[in-house]
Amino acid sequence: MVEQARSPAAPRFVMRRAYRTFVPFNVAIALPAQLTVLTVVLVPTLIVAWLSLTDWQPTQGIPWYQAEFVWFWNYYDLFHDARFVAAVVRTLLVVTGCMTVEFLLAMGLALLFLDDWAWRKIAVSIIIMPMMIVPVDAANAFFMLFNDRGPINYLISIIIGRPFEFAWLADPNWALLPIMLSEIWQWTPLMFLLVLTGLMNLPENQIRAAYVLGASRTRIFLRVMLPLLMPVIIIALLVRSIETFKIFDPVYILTRGGPGAATETISMFMYNGAFVYFRIGYIAAAALMILIVVVAICFTLSRPLKRHHR
Amino acid sequence: MFGEDKAWARCLKRTAVCIAIVIAFFPIFWLISTSFKPIDEWQKFPPVWISSQPTLQNYRIVFAPKAAQEFAAKQQGAIGYKVSGSAWKAFGDSAVVATAATVLSVLFGTLAAYSIVRFHTGGDSYPFQFLMVRIFPPIAVVVPMVILFSMLRLSDTYFGLILAYTAFTLPFSIWMIRSFIEEVPEELEGAALIYGMRPLQAFLKVTFPLIRGGVLATALFVFILNWSEFLFALTLTTGHVVTVTLQVANYVSASSGKLYGVQAAMGTVSTLPVIFFGYIIQRHLVRGLSFGAIKR
Repeated sequence: MVEQARSPAAPRFVMRRAYRTFVPFNVAIALPAQLTVLTVVLVPTLIVAWLSLTDWQPTQGIPWYQAEFVWFWNYYDLFHDARFVAAVVRTLLVVTGCMTVEFLLAMGLALLFLDDWAWRKIAVSIIIMPMMIVPVDAANAFFMLFNDRGPINYLISIIIGRPFEFAWLADPNWALLPIMLSEIWQWTPLMFLLVLTGLMNLPENQIRAAYVLGASRTRIFLRVMLPLLMPVIIIALLVRSIETFKIFDPVYILTRGGPGAATETISMFMYNGAFVYFRIGYIAAAALMILIVVVAICFTLSRPLKRHHR
Repeated sequence: MFGEDKAWARCLKRTAVCIAIVIAFFPIFWLISTSFKPIDEWQKFPPVWISSQPTLQNYRIVFAPKAAQEFAAKQQGAIGYKVSGSAWKAFGDSAVVATAATVLSVLFGTLAAYSIVRFHTGGDSYPFQFLMVRIFPPIAVVVPMVILFSMLRLSDTYFGLILAYTAFTLPFSIWMIRSFIEEVPEELEGAALIYGMRPLQAFLKVTFPLIRGGVLATALFVFILNWSEFLFALTLTTGHVVTVTLQVANYVSASSGKLYGVQAAMGTVSTLPVIFFGYIIQRHLVRGLSFGAIKR
């Protein structure tokens, strides 16, 4: 710690005073945050690692640390559990689907807001409203909208000209759609805001120059703006895909993973496994595996964020 | 940037914006509109867009225990106690938990961010360690947290929930405040030190006043996250502590399923503070949600 504190970035005059205390001053003030994180993240992760090697279920009536050790059988079972594999695939599908739609919508919308016009600020304020709403309430709104007798079905029945009463959330093939739409509705504004900020910060000179030199708009967009915007786009997609990967609230409110297991995402699978079926050891294995994979992916992907922060 | 649009292009653009506004606002409109509908209009087909006989009944059920009991008595079939409970407790609990967690998160976050920026504590990759917390799917740590909390007698307590919320909003606090501190030149603090201030004093008296607005924005941002949190509230409590997000999910009756109007009323009221705070810090939302990577 001390060695690192001497690195050129630290002002020397500060350190001279700080050394007098038992714990270096800079470490001491980082401790509260560090300890909180350790209690709530690291310790549970260690417990999860242990649990994943046992077959503990709270219904067995023995404390978790006395549970029977089953080595890696939980992991073996997981890989052969069609429901888990389906949940993983479904989550990836939701992430890719939502990211694609959110990004295209956000990009398109942001381009509409490039030039200045009256009401522009108010329009932006209204468009970003969905992201401010409590997710549970947003999910509830979508539950009502996609009711078999709700407004969405009514609009469809007007368009196709005959009564349409489809129970979206009760149909295994379609129940995922309202969930994804709710997620897209709520978070496209965030993507829009990020992209818009990026667009407004682009160096205007280069774009003007390209325009004066006679490049078409499409060409300017593809060759000048998009490359300049790349860091922002990558960060936006990274942040959003991490959040979408954890998707839970809309799934819980809209379907609880049902009908059957047709809309179970990873989070919902783990919730059901732990709090409905009480298969703690098994779910711990799933949790640890997901943690490792996510952390590994993020280590490789966090480079753009790192670079941008310099 | 590109010079003038043609008239038809501008018209098309405005239309697209209008459509976007309608889509963005419609679910919110539906939530508010439903909250004023009497019970027989909740699921009417064709749907009632705006009730011709608006009622405050749903809000009364949410806030007046008596009205809720009367309503419960009129319903056929059993209704859980949850419907008859009033939402005041939920608002109180949420206010306590969210505020306490926000204060702790911002306090710890400011100190850690100061340490990271000015002392380079832990090297380059140290701040990323905090980011991990946000990357972890919370459900993966919830299971052992339930076990850990029951061992520490923290389950279903305010303190337990506050601890969880603090930890899971710390990455935002640290990264956001860090980006604010980075904007203040180090020399200012250096000058204060030469005049004999201690490091913390220099930070509090020189740098902090300059980033006060940013810290406040961070606090509001973190408060929004805490107020809207659902998963921890759902799993770490068993009825003693009730947050607003849990209360929204509570309005379910055995005979008629979800009580649309009541849920909508509760949803509308519980979302209002968050929307209000959201617009106050609109300028800082981008910075917050991108962990300080994208600044305005």
